[in-house]
Amino acid sequence: MKLRIETLAEVIYVIPEGRLDFDAAPDFQEAMERLLGGGTTQLPAVIIDGAGLEYASSAGLRAILLAARAAQRAGILFGLCALQPAVREVFDLSGFSRIIAVHADRATALARARQGRP
Amino acid sequence: MTAQRTVPAEASQLAVLNQFLRDFWTAAALAPARMGSFELALEEIFMNLVMHTRQPGIAPRRVELTLSLGSDAVTMMVEDDGPQFDPLSLPPPDLTANLADRSLGGLGVYLVRNVMDTVSYARIAGRNQLRMTKRLAD
Repeated sequence: MKLRIETLAEVIYVIPEGRLDFDAAPDFQEAMERLLGGGTTQLPAVIIDGAGLEYASSAGLRAILLAARAAQRAGILFGLCALQPAVREVFDLSGFSRIIAVHADRATALARARQGRP
Repeated sequence: MTAQRTVPAEASQLAVLNQFLRDFWTAAALAPARMGSFELALEEIFMNLVMHTRQPGIAPRRVELTLSLGSDAVTMMVEDDGPQFDPLSLPPPDLTANLADRSLGGLGVYLVRNVMDTVSYARIAGRNQLRMTKRLAD
């Protein structure tokens, strides 16, 4: 899995590309901890853009859950957008859609961030 | 059509089994979109077995994957030579817990039960056998 980070307007977009499986989850988790844990992020919102994410297993979902918790502790709005159907399915099945914001696209995520809502 | 592959119970072998699954799917001329559930179930079940190898005495040594194409469904069977363990006996995760309290465990098997049509466990001839089936059409 490749991971890109882009800052646009008031939002940091985290863009994973490929597979978020047991193999990729530790690196992803570490990158998210760097972004969310050290007080380094000054912007109000971090959004995972899932357009290039083809696959996520429970290992990947756990890493996303831990990132959401770190964001909550740091007072940073956190969410996902543009999930592919297969990833959306496991996200819904796991119940994570109820506790982590999922937006249709970047525009929706940005609008919510500007309102100060996840 | 049936295909079988045996590998050591090591994390690095998941890539081998994934390739085996992709090859089976291609050979059977099945729709690629239908493979995702099997890919997910394979990772969840195989990695659960591999994680057990960290606990001495309960480690399976080898894992056998069998894929079968029926008239309207694909069956995936995962067998291992470890001590008796039924993953379906694990409690489901609490889906109503809030973000801070949500447990990190139990999610993999829960996902498998939900993406497959049927999942069953049996202990046969000293081996654990997990059989998963999914229809090829909705």
